[in-house]
Amino acid sequence: MDLLFKDLIGSFKFLQDILLGIRKFLTPDRAYSWQTFIYLSIFSLVSSYLAVGFVKDIIAFFGWMFLIAGTAWYTTDDPLRVPGTFMPVGALITGFLISIFAFGHEESIITTKSIVLWPTLSAIITTIPEFFPGRNPQTKLQFPKLQVRQKLIILVAWCLLISCWLQFYFVVDKWLKEYPSLLADNFQKSAFVIRVEEKSKLPQNGSTILNKLQPLIEEQIVTKPWAEVEKWLLDANQHVGSLGNQVIEKNLAKFAERGLWRIEPRVTNVNSGYRLDILNIWTGPSESKVGFYLRKSCLIQPTSSNNQNNKAVVADIECDRLSKLVIGAPPPQQ
Amino acid sequence: MPETLTIPRVLPIGTILFELLFLLVAIPIEAYIFHSSFKFDKKSSMFYAITINVLSSVAGWIIFFLLEPILPLPIKSEIINYVLFNTFKSSSIQSFVVLTGFIIFFATFLFKFSLLKGLLFILNDSVKKEEVTLSVSRRERWHINKKAELLNTNLATTTLIANSLSYTAITLILLIRSK
Repeated sequence: MDLLFKDLIGSFKFLQDILLGIRKFLTPDRAYSWQTFIYLSIFSLVSSYLAVGFVKDIIAFFGWMFLIAGTAWYTTDDPLRVPGTFMPVGALITGFLISIFAFGHEESIITTKSIVLWPTLSAIITTIPEFFPGRNPQTKLQFPKLQVRQKLIILVAWCLLISCWLQFYFVVDKWLKEYPSLLADNFQKSAFVIRVEEKSKLPQNGSTILNKLQPLIEEQIVTKPWAEVEKWLLDANQHVGSLGNQVIEKNLAKFAERGLWRIEPRVTNVNSGYRLDILNIWTGPSESKVGFYLRKSCLIQPTSSNNQNNKAVVADIECDRLSKLVIGAPPPQQ
Repeated sequence: MPETLTIPRVLPIGTILFELLFLLVAIPIEAYIFHSSFKFDKKSSMFYAITINVLSSVAGWIIFFLLEPILPLPIKSEIINYVLFNTFKSSSIQSFVVLTGFIIFFATFLFKFSLLKGLLFILNDSVKKEEVTLSVSRRERWHINKKAELLNTNLATTTLIANSLSYTAITLILLIRSK
């Protein structure tokens, strides 16, 4: 019983120590200290939440300023450095906060810009204290020693390069967003990027175009007199091409890849009528030198119309449900 | 739309490794050239080599990032083809690539040369020493000027040699890789 009591007291003491430590960490030694800044920032962020309009923005601005100043102050006392360099971890944290503050906005707190500029900002923050020897902002600004200057220049140069690499990642990512059909291809031969996501089976935009185009073409053919349809098929290149352009403009307006798809028809005679192959040709980047295209085949046949008072022969069209991906150059035009 | 972040689909690991490899090849070569022709000590020639090579890569990247959005679609398409599939789509691009290579070589040379001059100006403490000896005779002044001129041409030649050697090494690596 005694022992248990002792244990209890012991653990209580332990808890008390932790609490005391936390209290010591949280309470500022002086009015002018980093904790004050953090509290001010919390206070401003809470009050900005309650405020409205431009007052809210102003208070939030000061909140960010206090937060950045507080972390910068706290982390400059911290000797921990990023392994291999003399950049303090604190500079990384402060740089991150500054870049979020400077480039983030309401919809997305972390933007590409803030990530790209993070290393550079951190490097610049690392250099600032070197201009104030004595770690006291009151001392006069002076240029650091030659050795230190060299170190700082190298650090900033490497961080700029890292920023460039990050930006390059975002450029490639932007390509994949603007030209999503690239994702249906293989990146295995690439010397520059590796893929972390599974490759998609079909270029989505390509099959969307064909699926949207199919009813428009059916409309042009179904229940039209057979002779008219044959005439239409003679001019298929022009008809299908312009319909295709309309569909592409309408459905791919968001994507830069809309200029890289081209619709072409191929008409062949089959014993009972015609076969119309609608080809959607990808003229953009692809792994195979000849590229690839999507194909949807339609069978056009004459039938007698159901209409009672008109016994003429009309056309009927029947298309494949799915488009087929063919790797290689499209067949020659007639 | 490009502002929003999404889960990464491709990572430019190869780009980073290649650039590191090129820098690891170019920096020692250029540092050696600076060491042997300028009589810099090993540490500062290493510093100059690192700085001008890394900063000229950064300059190249920045030019790429500025040009990339305004390039016409066919050229952009070729660049995407090269980055993602490691080939060019049209064969007529060959001469264009060679021309770009030449431009890049001379642009890097000019950039490295002016950067080196700037760095020597910022970092060399001998600048201050020269100010002290301003009260020399006219004849000696002429000699100093002549010396500076000589140093300038020497700087240009040395940078050109260093740049050519490092580009040769990188080209050799590329040739071996493409085999």
